[in-house]
Amino acid sequence: MAMKTSSAKFKDRVDEGIHNDFMRLAVSSAQERLHGRRLTAVDELGSWEDWRSLGEEIRQHVLSNLDFYLHQLAENVSKRGGHVFFAETAEEASGYIKDVIVKKNAKKVVKSKSMVTEEINLNATLEAVGLDVVETDLGEYILQVDDHDPPSHIVAPALHKNKEQIRDVFKEKLAYTQTEKPEELTAHVRGILRKDFLSADVGITGCNFAIAETGSIGLVTNEGNADLVTALPKTQITVMGMERLVPTFDEFEVLVSLLTRSAVGQRLTSYITALTGPRDEDDVDGPEEFHLVIVDNGRSSILGTEFQSVLQCIRCAACINVCPVYRQVGGHSYGSIYPGPIGAVLSPLLGGYDDFKELPYASTLCAACTDACPVKIPLHDLLRKHREVIVEKEKMAPFSEKMAMKAFGIGAASPMLYKFGSKMAPSAMSPFKTGDIISKGPGPLKTWTESREFPAPGKESFRDWFKNREKGGKPS
Amino acid sequence: MKVTLFATCLVDLFQSNVGKATVELLERLGCEIDFPESQICCGQPAYNSGYTKESKEAMKKMIKTFADAEYIVTPSGSCAAMFKEYPVLFKGDAEWEKKAASLAAKTYELSQFIVDVLKVTDVGATLKGKATYHTSCHMTRLLKVKEAPAILLSHVRGLEMTPLPDAQNCCGFGGHFRLRWVTFPGKWSRKRYAILKIPGQIF
Amino acid sequence: MNGTIHNEGAFLNNIAKNLGRAPITEGISVPEWKHAPKKEVLKHATPNDLVAELKEQCKRVHTQFHVTDSKQVMHCLTQVIEELGNGPLIIPKDDRFSAYGLEGILKEKDVHIWDHQAGNENIEKAESANIGITFSEMTLAESATIVLFSDKDHGRSISFLPACHVSIIPKSTIVPRMTQAAAAIRSKVARGEVIPSCINFITGPSNSADIEMDLVVGVHGPIKAVYIIVEDK
Repeated sequence: MAMKTSSAKFKDRVDEGIHNDFMRLAVSSAQERLHGRRLTAVDELGSWEDWRSLGEEIRQHVLSNLDFYLHQLAENVSKRGGHVFFAETAEEASGYIKDVIVKKNAKKVVKSKSMVTEEINLNATLEAVGLDVVETDLGEYILQVDDHDPPSHIVAPALHKNKEQIRDVFKEKLAYTQTEKPEELTAHVRGILRKDFLSADVGITGCNFAIAETGSIGLVTNEGNADLVTALPKTQITVMGMERLVPTFDEFEVLVSLLTRSAVGQRLTSYITALTGPRDEDDVDGPEEFHLVIVDNGRSSILGTEFQSVLQCIRCAACINVCPVYRQVGGHSYGSIYPGPIGAVLSPLLGGYDDFKELPYASTLCAACTDACPVKIPLHDLLRKHREVIVEKEKMAPFSEKMAMKAFGIGAASPMLYKFGSKMAPSAMSPFKTGDIISKGPGPLKTWTESREFPAPGKESFRDWFKNREKGGKPS
Repeated sequence: MKVTLFATCLVDLFQSNVGKATVELLERLGCEIDFPESQICCGQPAYNSGYTKESKEAMKKMIKTFADAEYIVTPSGSCAAMFKEYPVLFKGDAEWEKKAASLAAKTYELSQFIVDVLKVTDVGATLKGKATYHTSCHMTRLLKVKEAPAILLSHVRGLEMTPLPDAQNCCGFGGHFRLRWVTFPGKWSRKRYAILKIPGQIF
Repeated sequence: MNGTIHNEGAFLNNIAKNLGRAPITEGISVPEWKHAPKKEVLKHATPNDLVAELKEQCKRVHTQFHVTDSKQVMHCLTQVIEELGNGPLIIPKDDRFSAYGLEGILKEKDVHIWDHQAGNENIEKAESANIGITFSEMTLAESATIVLFSDKDHGRSISFLPACHVSIIPKSTIVPRMTQAAAAIRSKVARGEVIPSCINFITGPSNSADIEMDLVVGVHGPIKAVYIIVEDK
């Protein structure tokens, strides 16, 4: 699946999301639980603002010296016998990986969850040459079995499905005969995937953080699937977004602490693994061959722009878990593998405004995302900056809005015009009024009043009242 | 103490009661209120929609309007936060940056002004009944004013405050999102407030 | 033998260009960070405080917790093994079994001791084992995490493939949090030591909340986890 997950119009996707009551319930309850856990984890740690500032400091330092740290990483991976491939585009990355695998005459590939492999459309590329590609994260596996349903959340990809739906999918595709209990569903998958782990030729992982000083790859899971993916197959291929690295183990530790608390409210997740090169001499398990694929795919063009801070992201999804818009429309409405506030900032940058120009408007700018971000990305401000680009550079704003805002610019800067307009407001609005409420507003007010009644302009504006009062008129 | 009121365009046009109450409250606390006629809007609607150029026109107007004010007080945390953002917007602008900074420095949201500047925590109000308080997104997260409203409400005689579950969650009212796209935030606001099933009178 | 590096030059030059400066490939050192909250966590905790913290955290990560000493550890381990449903067992080739008075385990009939010369047979044994037993190299009190270093005698699979994982924790290995473990690994690097190809930070059994956010314990790795603290080691 490439970054774009739907060709439907944004408005239609949102409408579909809004009317999917199960999904909305699932999303809101997941949001509440994740949000609650995060707050507890953050409180326990103490000095959270200092932790966030430290996280920000580390990420900013790495981004401004990115070429240095990538060079150091590559050198150290190679010193330990690993192969490094720098891929400028998604095609280069997936093409290289395909070639490595085909050369090995491999049949089966096991994968642990990785958003960047979704971004480079890796599974489709590998399946096209007849490879058996198995996702091993439970959520990803469920989606894969369900005819490649797109993920709706970057940490919990199958968040939009309930256990009954999963049971039915398993019955149809996996000859499953038990109930919808999560324990039973999970045990069934464990049995199937255990065989896949043992028989796979190649293991593919993403990368939470690479460590430049040692050439290590850090992987964070609860299921332990990344460990089996890297311990058993003979070849390991790790794919990383080029910004996902830290200088040393000291900074790795800080970012892992921020990640696990922010993502799932855990002090640490069950499995945190630092892998360095292929297996050592005489080791029995671990890969004989290790490839690291470092992917640009549009990231370098974000560097040096007002959007650079988005590359600080550590993919914890805390912003998604507090977003009121995500809560209402669900992940699929975004039409991108990256949903929520981070997706709305990142998708237009990586995938272009043509496909994702609506996403920056999928926000109330309530700034809950900015507040939740463990590395202090000013997400709401970046969303607003996108709007600025859409209006000023891309010229994609609707004509009526442009006219309204031009009028705003003139009106709000000119008291005379403003006064005239505001005098007109009560009578201009009168056809839409019921008592003191506008319930069927015209033009841009229409969408607003379809969901919320808007107070009608009063007969007497505040300024008139104030003036009368100064003149000695009675306060009303 | 002389206070220059920034009423905000929404209050001026749609919710004049809020403006009137602000004036009466501040006068009761001994302030002398000035309301410069040339004030209009902080520029946020255009700014948040991406029309920075247009919004700057409004902002310059506000900077001029409030140039002589000692304290600017507004009954909107959101608009106050917008004023505080001006220096960022005019950064590097020789003519406006300093003026923007001076405007930002003397801007206060109403409850913040009462608690932090006037050092008053009890405004002497009485209201019998129960109420809950839903925090404002921009006031808490952008302006960083979290305590002042709760402090003032806690001293209102006869008023019993009931905490609102998930008070930090956005009501869905604000923003360009609903204007531009969909019809659902009503569903969401209604649901948000459906939890307020508190017996007694609700404000 | 060194691995290969492809397309590095153009890739890094492009980054430098976008950052608006000449490429940098040397001379950057990690700055002294302005914020240092990590040293504050459990700063004044005594070794006993750390054990208490570890014990408390074990409850939250679905991990059984025992405290014993080197005299009683064999007895404790035998009981744990019985409770977990007995063998087959798989253990690393590690002198500490003898040093800790655990020779008894080596002689169990159902035990496989990791033997790198036996190759894949080790993995088959791990796959069919009920219990894998490891020694924690470092133990993080805050998160109830054990740390394992792989080598030819300490296969990765021992802690991943069996149904249960028992980890022996010498009390002296307990540190406040991951901060101290990271520092220890960095000092290895500074001394020019080669770090193990696999360093595991393992916290309790494997689990997932991917179905309706309901926690299921035991997904791909072990279903049960037990820690045994040895007080005098």
